[in-house]
Amino acid sequence: MTRQQVYFDDVEVGQAVPEVRKGPMTVAHIMRWSASMENWHRIHYDRAYAVEHDKLPDVVVNGSWKQHVLMQLVKEWVGLGGWAWKVGFQYRDMDLPGDLITAWGKVTKTYEKGGLGYVELEIGLRNSRGIESTRGTAVVILPRRGGAKVPYPFPVD
Amino acid sequence: MSPNYITDEVKQLIGRETDWVEACDPVEQGAIRRFHQAVMDDDPIFWKVAEAAATRYGGIVAPPLFPLHAFRRPSGAPDPLNRVSGDPDFDGVTRDFGLGLPPVPIPLPRLLNGGNQVEVYQLARPGDRIRAKSKYVDIYQKEGKSGVLVFILVETVYANQKGETLLKALQTHILR
Repeated sequence: MTRQQVYFDDVEVGQAVPEVRKGPMTVAHIMRWSASMENWHRIHYDRAYAVEHDKLPDVVVNGSWKQHVLMQLVKEWVGLGGWAWKVGFQYRDMDLPGDLITAWGKVTKTYEKGGLGYVELEIGLRNSRGIESTRGTAVVILPRRGGAKVPYPFPVD
Repeated sequence: MSPNYITDEVKQLIGRETDWVEACDPVEQGAIRRFHQAVMDDDPIFWKVAEAAATRYGGIVAPPLFPLHAFRRPSGAPDPLNRVSGDPDFDGVTRDFGLGLPPVPIPLPRLLNGGNQVEVYQLARPGDRIRAKSKYVDIYQKEGKSGVLVFILVETVYANQKGETLLKALQTHILR
């Protein structure tokens, strides 16, 4: 594959990573995800249940789906030579049908350990209503120019 | 005063751990396809055989967090949807957090996904038998804007059939 590799040497604190955008989301997108993972939680496809029983504004985009979008953001940035190691996120608000969802990330810290380049990131999801629905952090490993390959499988602590 | 949901019965669940549980199906290429299409990630490592073979993976792999959803209802197990028509409060999901953990006896009607912390070590491949081991790490309550929230923290380790760790996850479930 000919994807361009990002190297640890070229990364600076404050740097933004390329955004990933999804949507606008519809009930069909939400239903497709729910069906693919066989999650029958009614707040994702039964509007009457979501609104009347759970007092939500509409059916809601699955948190389980949103985590994959954040993972994709980080995976795409580190490329085939890096490793998206740790990703953590808290859901702070809802994403709804009609929302365009943007995943963003920003470098907060860089350090070397065992000859490998570690990068910490602040990450999040922002929707087209201006709401930061999800916030989190990530730790990734990037190769150094002329340095060793990032090991795969990544060693367990 | 809010009711105390963290009864002795609930406290006894903290630290409770399961044995290894194996997913009912091996990782299937069709499941990988439905999954990457639903998360709208057309990375060639999920479907382009020759391109994936040329990477460090040596072949097609599943999306990094695929193991989180690899555990489906086995054939012959009770159908939770039987409850939907007769129980207007039933939300479609059973309350057995994690895999094989006992239910948390807390009578709050609404469930939210609070967040997750994952550590990825290896990607699952078609044919892998994914197994998992879960533990209740903590269960506690907090006063929220609209009443009590109960946080249930479940740690799960996912491995392949060789016992190699694929993923670790610390999932927060919220009852309200």
